[in-house]
Amino acid sequence: MKIIIFGGTPGSGKTSIIKNVVGELKDLKIHYAKFDVLTSDDDERIKEKFDISTEVKISGEICPDHYAALEIPKIISKHKDKDIVIIETAGLCLRCSPYIQNSLAVNVLNILAGKPEGYGPLLRDADLVAVTKGDLISQAEREIFRSEVLKVNKNTSIIEANGLTGEGAIDIADEIKKSPELGEKMILRHSMPTAVCGYCYGNKIIDSEETLKRYTLGKELKAKIPNLNCGKCGFKSCNEFIREVLDGKVNETICPYLKREVDAGLSGVKNDRETN
Amino acid sequence: MQIEKITIFGGYDKEGNKGNFEKVDIFAGQKIGIVGPTGSGKSQLLYDIEKLAYGETKTKRKILINDEIPKKELKLDPLKKIIGYLTQHMNFMTDTSVYNFLKTHIETRGKRQTKEQIENLIEKIIDDANTITGEDIKKETNLLILSGGQSRALMVADLAYVSESPIILIDEIENAGIKIKNALDLLVKKEKIIFLVTHDPILALDTDKRFAMKNGAIKEIIHTSIKEKGIANYLSWINDYLLEVREEVREGKQVEELKLICSPMGKRE
Repeated sequence: MKIIIFGGTPGSGKTSIIKNVVGELKDLKIHYAKFDVLTSDDDERIKEKFDISTEVKISGEICPDHYAALEIPKIISKHKDKDIVIIETAGLCLRCSPYIQNSLAVNVLNILAGKPEGYGPLLRDADLVAVTKGDLISQAEREIFRSEVLKVNKNTSIIEANGLTGEGAIDIADEIKKSPELGEKMILRHSMPTAVCGYCYGNKIIDSEETLKRYTLGKELKAKIPNLNCGKCGFKSCNEFIREVLDGKVNETICPYLKREVDAGLSGVKNDRETN
Repeated sequence: MQIEKITIFGGYDKEGNKGNFEKVDIFAGQKIGIVGPTGSGKSQLLYDIEKLAYGETKTKRKILINDEIPKKELKLDPLKKIIGYLTQHMNFMTDTSVYNFLKTHIETRGKRQTKEQIENLIEKIIDDANTITGEDIKKETNLLILSGGQSRALMVADLAYVSESPIILIDEIENAGIKIKNALDLLVKKEKIIFLVTHDPILALDTDKRFAMKNGAIKEIIHTSIKEKGIANYLSWINDYLLEVREEVREGKQVEELKLICSPMGKRE
């Protein structure tokens, strides 16, 4: 199985490019997963057109790229029969961009969206840069842009792509066919930034004391729960659960592990974990 | 890279029928017009040429350069790229001066040149661009405030001198505000092969051949007659005259004299 990760800013043309690329890979079994922050119907649009299996993952209150990294193993284990899994991430902060070793990392880059040196690992660690919207500017500017991309990532291949006309889709499909098979272990190409403060636990007040308070409470709760992101509480991740608890919206006992501990405490029986 | 000849093998139309001819050869210095209604496959033909397609695009067209299958590096490495492209959207997006833009582009092309050579080349490009547009471009002007005509003129001159691609594709270049025939002459002067999608009679009737497109394939190849070239010359004179009067209007002058042309082949300046 191959895993192909498409990252790029909103409006860069990721979904249109993927559509054209999927059209060039008709003889392969493909699963498509889209990660977005708020809402997306791209999965339905792609399913409608190509009748491949698709899904959409909405990250909500957590970093979409951290969320993607948490979910990718689950997606892969569900789709072992596929030849190719295409992951499209919103890649919003440009810093996280969960590219995996032994995959094909594609950065869809809008030529009108500013200088390439402003992009972090999203561009720097990509195997392939698909430059879009090049038809809106002169060839001279395209050439200048290209050399600026190579200054940031000198090993990348650059393909000019157009989601409307399908330009470049054949070349991207070729690169996908040539890309390596996914290894036993999935390793990120670079570490993601740490989230370390009260704001990560949902604090909204700009004040260092309030932030510290929220951080301390969050950390205490985090130490009590298993951090499995199992989803049994109804939230996508443990952090999201913590935020909701600290906001007073839910009770911490909706976490089945925490509930067990509370029950165990009440009945006076020693907790499993403590004995172990 | 010296290009003497391009060969295009027919390919298929949208229904999968073979085109009307087996292949066509185009030689250095020739201008080829591409005509046909919307959706007839004009842009796809340009795309196939730009990609140096060899059966992988939807038309299955094959392109040979000097009787050989083009190498992959010709398609991907911009410094080896042999195709220059003037698109319909002829606007600059970079916030910089004309001088800085040309300098960066020359440096990007990676040719080793002395400071003096670069300065001379920039002068030459701006001078030649000014023979195409009615309104002079200055080197300290910001790219973003150039008029449509000035932008187009600068792009043509840049393409002629900096990009030096031996094959040029032109997709429906607008003739407003530029001496379109001078622009083309500037490109052809350097023994380039030019493909242009256009219905502008000044350009279309001044080509060597016209490909008439239909339903995705090349339907017919029309050889331009002497008479047609005469008509193109006549229309070009009218276009230049229009431009002249436009500049007088721009400068706030009263237009006094009506100019008449006696013979279509007469002097044009």
